[in-house]
Amino acid sequence: ANTIYGAIRGLETFSQLCVFNYDTKNVEVRYAPWYIQDEPRFAFRGLMLDTSRHYLPVDVIKQVIDSMSFSKLNVLHWHIIDEQSFPLEIPSYPNLWKGSYSKSERYTVEDARYIVSYAKKRGIHVMAEIDVPGHAESWGNGYPKLWPSLSCTEPLDVSSNFTFEVITGILSDMRKIFPFGLFHLGGDEVYTGCWNLTPHVKQWLDERNMTTKDAYKYFVLKAQEIAIDLNWIPVNWEETFNSFGGSLNPRTVVHNWLGPGVCPKVVAKGLRCIMSNQGVWYLDHLDVPWEQVYTAEPLAGIDDTAQQKLVLGGEVCMWGETADTSDVQQTIWPRAAAAAERMWSQLEAISAQDLETTVLARLHYFRCLLNHRGIAAAPVTNFYARRPPIGPGSCFVQ
Amino acid sequence: MAPALMRLVLALAVVSCCAAGQPGGRVDLWPMPASVTRGARTLYVARDLRLSTAGTGYKDGKAILADAFRRMVAVIQLDHAINGSYHGLPVLAGVNVAVRSPDDELKFGVDESYKLTVPATGNPIYARIEAQTVFGALHALETFSQLCYFDFVLGVTGLHWAPWTIVDKPRFPYRGLLIDTARHYLPVPVIISVIDSMVYSKLNVLHWHIVDEQSFPLEIPSYPKLSNGAYSYSEKYTINDAIHIVQYAEKRGVNVLAEIDVPGHAGSWGVGYPSLWPSATCQQPLDVSNDFTFKVIDGILSDFSKVFKFKFVHLGGDEVDTSCWTTTPRIKSWLVQHGMNESDAYRYFVLKAQKIAISHGYEIINWEETFNNFGDKLDRKTVVHNWLGGGVAEKVVSAGLRCIVSNQDKWYLDHLDATWEGFYMNEPLTNIYNPEQQKLILGGEVCMWGEHIDASDIQQTIWPRAAAAAERLWTPVEKLAKDTTAVTARLAHFRCLLNERGVAAAPLAGYGRTAPSEPGSCVRQ
Repeated sequence: ANTIYGAIRGLETFSQLCVFNYDTKNVEVRYAPWYIQDEPRFAFRGLMLDTSRHYLPVDVIKQVIDSMSFSKLNVLHWHIIDEQSFPLEIPSYPNLWKGSYSKSERYTVEDARYIVSYAKKRGIHVMAEIDVPGHAESWGNGYPKLWPSLSCTEPLDVSSNFTFEVITGILSDMRKIFPFGLFHLGGDEVYTGCWNLTPHVKQWLDERNMTTKDAYKYFVLKAQEIAIDLNWIPVNWEETFNSFGGSLNPRTVVHNWLGPGVCPKVVAKGLRCIMSNQGVWYLDHLDVPWEQVYTAEPLAGIDDTAQQKLVLGGEVCMWGETADTSDVQQTIWPRAAAAAERMWSQLEAISAQDLETTVLARLHYFRCLLNHRGIAAAPVTNFYARRPPIGPGSCFVQ
Repeated sequence: MAPALMRLVLALAVVSCCAAGQPGGRVDLWPMPASVTRGARTLYVARDLRLSTAGTGYKDGKAILADAFRRMVAVIQLDHAINGSYHGLPVLAGVNVAVRSPDDELKFGVDESYKLTVPATGNPIYARIEAQTVFGALHALETFSQLCYFDFVLGVTGLHWAPWTIVDKPRFPYRGLLIDTARHYLPVPVIISVIDSMVYSKLNVLHWHIVDEQSFPLEIPSYPKLSNGAYSYSEKYTINDAIHIVQYAEKRGVNVLAEIDVPGHAGSWGVGYPSLWPSATCQQPLDVSNDFTFKVIDGILSDFSKVFKFKFVHLGGDEVDTSCWTTTPRIKSWLVQHGMNESDAYRYFVLKAQKIAISHGYEIINWEETFNNFGDKLDRKTVVHNWLGGGVAEKVVSAGLRCIVSNQDKWYLDHLDATWEGFYMNEPLTNIYNPEQQKLILGGEVCMWGEHIDASDIQQTIWPRAAAAAERLWTPVEKLAKDTTAVTARLAHFRCLLNERGVAAAPLAGYGRTAPSEPGSCVRQ
């Protein structure tokens, strides 16, 4: 391999060649000699974890990282904070984690570093997200001034310098923890009502002749500058592109989620794109069976090869509203594995049709392999995700 | 309890929790020990907590204690980096463990009592564990681990409310969990993780229902074709896998009770040996008329005796539908020849299997139908395993036999509508007042039948409801809550502790293994 990370992928493939022989009680490699040459189709093959809607203990995040390595996923997108809770220690602004659910549902800076190094040893990057200006109510638990007002608590107060001082502090602290070149700044689902309703913010807008939409753009671009000054490439959810794509910093990576057909528009404008179309790659949508996950194509609608290169890859998203330690792994697997093959294997090697005959048996085998490795991957052929097996039976047919 | 009401109860319970440093309020231990006193001082647990065994007769040749201590330290550190400064703080430097008995063999009825003291002062400060056996010491280490918490402000491990004096022992010697590896194969790592989680709530018997109608996953050296009945080539356990599981469990104070269910629930045996079936189209129960049937049972039990060292073996005997015996001509004429009707033959089979097991040194457990049908004919040392419902245990002990309680309306984990409150309140000694008869109740067991669970969801179906039963089986009856609302917050706390230790315990609210209905703190769900 050219790098140690290639060798790590090679070791994983090797491990899947090995079978236990119940008669001789040995581990065997069948069908030797093997000649496997391999490389990923996309450089960015992600899984997003949400530790704000439910706190996930460090031990659980480690288990998720382990399971990612088995299917060669290589980016853990850590959506750390959101409306409901703020679990991470921020040394520059130590009151922020008062927004955690409870005293013990927190990550220290050392926990975050440990997660990053644990992932790195498995060839997995950690891309942290600080979602602004929406999805940030929990910030005000420690610093109520960040809210437009006590009764109108989102988005973050655009009119206040303090808001951007805090963002600068958070990002500076995180720069010492997260070495990955990309940093996610969120920017999705921004409901600007409170900016209009709160007098001092409304006044600030009027003084600058800004609509709330202008202010949204202003906020996102200003946050981007802070990240760029810290030597990061900003990633933003697609609403930023949909609303003011032409103004985004040209380095921006746009993270598609709302639906299909977005990455083609993004790359046509010369920006890079990550695909997470919620109709197929949102793991919290339990009604998307594995076939639909498998056939989702990041390059759909993009024929120009130069533009194709701008699609960095894709990401399956494990939103946490109804996923906690008790059920997160069986919601993620085995469907994330279907996406993992879509993101790793060459297009010619991926089956386009007749998945029942060409893919199902192999996915069954992989799901049972995950179970053998202690990963609670759910039955493959249930329509809904994370449902129990319908009755007694072999792992390989369920 | 409806989910919304549960959340309200949890919210109120969390709010009423005591502030740090105040005695009174909730003791967050599960299961609740027999006696607990505590003070008001906070200590900080050294990063390199020491184990001292000064002045003890116990040699720890198998490293049972040393390994348990290491595991305990790993678990209290919960993957948080301990890098705060201990400067100026009162530090608990180590734990002194004194085990009186040199015997490290795990047996049924072994003394599991312990005394745990954590002083508030000392130079250095050492906690002390005294136990009759190493297995009592293991329970003490588990309790100690639950006194510790991570202090996010100081970056060190803390221990509230010293000095502590905890004197503890289990109410029942048999506190079991059944797993079913026939309806779905459970990979060895999954069984291992179930054993790990049992230790946290002091359950001490893993009842391994290995084989049933649908599959036969265990290698039996005496009759190697039996495991042809496994679901597939790789959904099997070698005999070494079984030995590994038994040894892994023993080191943690968990006994393994093997079950070979006969004559019913045995359809899978005939895949390798079709002559065990009454006929190819009528496959259960096992052919009572065939000597070979009992040779195979003898071979299985002989192989078991080399692996499963628990003094009991479970021979099943439940849900026996004997129609295939009467509709298969060969067997029908055997019955006639021997002057037996179907229920005579059922009894004959069970008693013959019992004798075989006894010849291999085992005492026997049978499901309750055997007692209900011919209780007076069972071997006098039979332990009757109640499952059909309440009101059975009292009959068993009146007849002078021992009993294990698993009434399905309250303690079957696959019944998702059985609530944790129902698990907690299910009292094994209901209607049994005579103390001599009470002693015949060995304890109880929660059952994780496998029809609708597999490796993907077994842990969150077992927990936290099994923990509720674990307290019912461990804690003295005077200390058990009379009303489950008094316990909700403490069980929620224990569930979150399980989560922190990587055990996928489900939210308390709602039916068994429900997903959390909305975002929220672990302790409120």
